Amino acid sequence: MKKRVLALAMSTAMIASVLTACGGGKDTPAQDTNNAADNTAAANNTATDNNAPAENNAADNNAADNTAADNQTMDFGSGEIKIWVPDAVTGVTQTLADSFFSEHPEMAGYTVKIEPMGEGDAAGKVIMDVEAAPDLYAFAQDQMARLVAAGALTTISGDYATFVQDSNDSGAAAAAKVGNEVYAFPLTSDNGYFLYYDKSVVTDPSSLEQIVADCEAAGKNFYFDTGSWYQTAFFFGAGCELTFDTDEDGNFTGINNTYASENGLKAMKAIRQMSESKIYMDGSSVGDAVNWAAIVDGTWDSSSAKEVLGENYACAKLPSFTVDGETFQLGGFGGFKLMGVKPQAEAGKLVVCLELAKYLSDTDAQLTRFNEVGWGPSNVKAQEDPAVQGDEALSALREQLQYTVPQGQYPGEYWSEADALGETICGGNFKGYTDEQLMTELEAFAAKMDALVQ
Amino acid sequence: MKENQIAGFFKGIGNAFGLIGTAFSKGDWKTKLSFIIMGFGSIMRKQFARGIAFLAVEILYIWYIVSFGASYLVKFGSLGTVATHEEPAYFNGIEIGKTTVFGDNSFLILLFSVMTLFITVLFIIIWYINVKNNYESQLKLEAGKELPSNKQDLSSLLDHNFDKTLLSIPVLGVFMFVVVPIVFMILVAFTNYDATHQPPTNLFTWVGFENFKNLLSIGGSGFGSTFFTILIWTLVWAFFATFLNYFGGMAVAILINKKGIKFKKLWRTILVMTIAVPQFVSLLYIGKMFAKDGLINGYLMKWGWIDSAIPFWTDPLLAKITIIIINVWVGIPYVMLITTGLLMNIPEDLYESARIDGANPFQMFMKITLPYMLFVTGPYLLTSFTGNLNNFNVIYLLTTGSPLSTELTGGAGRTDLLITWLYKLTVNDTNYRMAAVIGIMVFVVTAVISLVVYNILPSVKDEEGFQ
Repeated sequence: MKKRVLALAMSTAMIASVLTACGGGKDTPAQDTNNAADNTAAANNTATDNNAPAENNAADNNAADNTAADNQTMDFGSGEIKIWVPDAVTGVTQTLADSFFSEHPEMAGYTVKIEPMGEGDAAGKVIMDVEAAPDLYAFAQDQMARLVAAGALTTISGDYATFVQDSNDSGAAAAAKVGNEVYAFPLTSDNGYFLYYDKSVVTDPSSLEQIVADCEAAGKNFYFDTGSWYQTAFFFGAGCELTFDTDEDGNFTGINNTYASENGLKAMKAIRQMSESKIYMDGSSVGDAVNWAAIVDGTWDSSSAKEVLGENYACAKLPSFTVDGETFQLGGFGGFKLMGVKPQAEAGKLVVCLELAKYLSDTDAQLTRFNEVGWGPSNVKAQEDPAVQGDEALSALREQLQYTVPQGQYPGEYWSEADALGETICGGNFKGYTDEQLMTELEAFAAKMDALVQ
Repeated sequence: MKENQIAGFFKGIGNAFGLIGTAFSKGDWKTKLSFIIMGFGSIMRKQFARGIAFLAVEILYIWYIVSFGASYLVKFGSLGTVATHEEPAYFNGIEIGKTTVFGDNSFLILLFSVMTLFITVLFIIIWYINVKNNYESQLKLEAGKELPSNKQDLSSLLDHNFDKTLLSIPVLGVFMFVVVPIVFMILVAFTNYDATHQPPTNLFTWVGFENFKNLLSIGGSGFGSTFFTILIWTLVWAFFATFLNYFGGMAVAILINKKGIKFKKLWRTILVMTIAVPQFVSLLYIGKMFAKDGLINGYLMKWGWIDSAIPFWTDPLLAKITIIIINVWVGIPYVMLITTGLLMNIPEDLYESARIDGANPFQMFMKITLPYMLFVTGPYLLTSFTGNLNNFNVIYLLTTGSPLSTELTGGAGRTDLLITWLYKLTVNDTNYRMAAVIGIMVFVVTAVISLVVYNILPSVKDEEGFQ
């Protein structure tokens, strides 16, 4: 009972924070910093492993510094650089920014002001008033097209674009682009979801039907969000495709849409079948979940999941599901967190912003954030770090990522329409529908998607 | 009455033009020159305080228009034509990226144009006062009367013109912070200001009635069917939320007031406790309690009363019923508090004589209590109805408008009110153009209902009724 009250109180606080509403309706990972155990473990790693990346970075910086080397005499101007990052990393970012300016005294005319802002909310707030927006801000990748369309991101070219493309994994590098232009610096490569489960309840985490059956037998809940971001696990897993093409201005020019197909029908039936179980819950936040034995969630909730499950804590890639005798592996989105630079009118400030964004997304910074708050790096060198390799949740995610599609750009309407689709299925509105009726619904959804392309 | 007001307004304008004409034809050269150089006549007639004030207004206005207002006002028709573009930026001869050269900002053009138009109207009024003042001074001098001295002019601001001194700042504030934003938002409804036309990097422009057509067009991607679905639910919700609370609260108050009920204070305290907890806290809490994995479903299942969770928030009809019932629980204590005092005010002899005549309790309620209560609380009922039309808190905190449906567009859910839908359109979709149209619609609905109901209220129709 005490736990429930606590859970309720926590969820109350969560809802209050959600009131500011995230653009895509997509889940916004709320980073938990309350995990002392994790931090100390991570701190140990830092002590042993820091040498290697530091050396790498020194070498790395030299190349870039060649461009900045001549700048010693230049006047970069002065002023304030405002940065938005999620609450959990404000401290880390402040430390990193301080060391950036001590390494670059010629840019010390600028001061930084760091404000907390969830990466899911950032885009919405920036778009509401681009002029008042911060100079640098971290955002979730699904918001990118909106930001580019609103003209809230400066294009990144030259050495900076090369840096983004060369030092990050291919998914993150692709995610930083809209059309052929690079618009942001990747910060993480961990915006995906996988399964947390209770070892003592779930006997076989590789089959969705088995997980549901085990949870039913134990009277425990199974959480799998069917909102826009998570439901693609079924559709993409069944082999459907839904991607949009964008031009440099962030306009949607083309669509590849196979939802209204036999496979789409199967995915829909699988969601319906799952949602009809009485232990199925529509949700994706450990903090909100009660009495659960399995939940599909992301790395941001790993510490709370560990806390709830204790010894029985286990992670795995998403299970497979079976419809009409055919078995599919659940897929979904692999996503990223990025840092963008607001369009700048002064060249001097632009350089400082770009340098700072580069510094904040480089190997060292990514490892620091991994150690402090457990963000999975997108930087290839940081990914090779043994501590990163050894993280249970990140390994499960890495395993899942091979079945996922790198999350491209989607129009805002996709997120709200797909949310509506998920809620309509889970609300039992399609109960007892024949295949033909379901197909009509799918066709209507697919037609709405097609209509989003000009 | 209303027609008289409108007629009076136009008559006033007609008179004003008449006066300008007379002043121009019959004015001496000092008055005539005041048409161009404001306050000229006053200064010439040694009324320096007035004259300098008028002149200062003219200079300030011209300075404002030339240095600021005109540059925005000329673009008012197009809302800007120069697009923002990027240019390669060089730093020490090396290309380091692209700096942005900002073009026109449609948002600022619209905002400052509206402001400039208001300032211009204000200037014309002051100019008219200046003409009138000069002409009147001339007539006074011709009639051999004396003009008020500078000292008298200034001290009148603290004496018989003190109302103007006091009100000038509030009136200015109301215009700047209420009227200008409202006009601005109404104008947005006629533009294509949305996520893809976002200043300062993108321009937006006038689109006429396109947004209104979109709101009323049914089928396709039109907002029509969603708008009417939500409008009907908004009205249904406001009706139940108002009257269930009203009669429920009155019933509870009558029950507790009844002779023979023990622990009256205890019952009242228990009910008032719900007011002591901030409403948004209880709403968030209840919202979680009724969720599929919430306490209610959890315990009902644990005790074996139900097999599978009751879809309080996922079934559209059940969600609506749950919201209304929870609102009754949250709202009854307020109505009970209001009505408790009023019920005690009804003269006891009315009931006594009714009882002697052999009326039963129901008849007494219908003939004495209800008419009296409706008379006294009529205006409260009306404000509470219009308040419920825009009851953002209850809906958004309980369900955020869910369950969503594939049949609705614009991110709307089955329990969304117009006002929560407007909020979603603004915050989630930055669809300001449609949000502005819906804002206008909310105003129309509220205004029509308020006006119609206000005029049939017993307390308005028959003011003497219960005196």
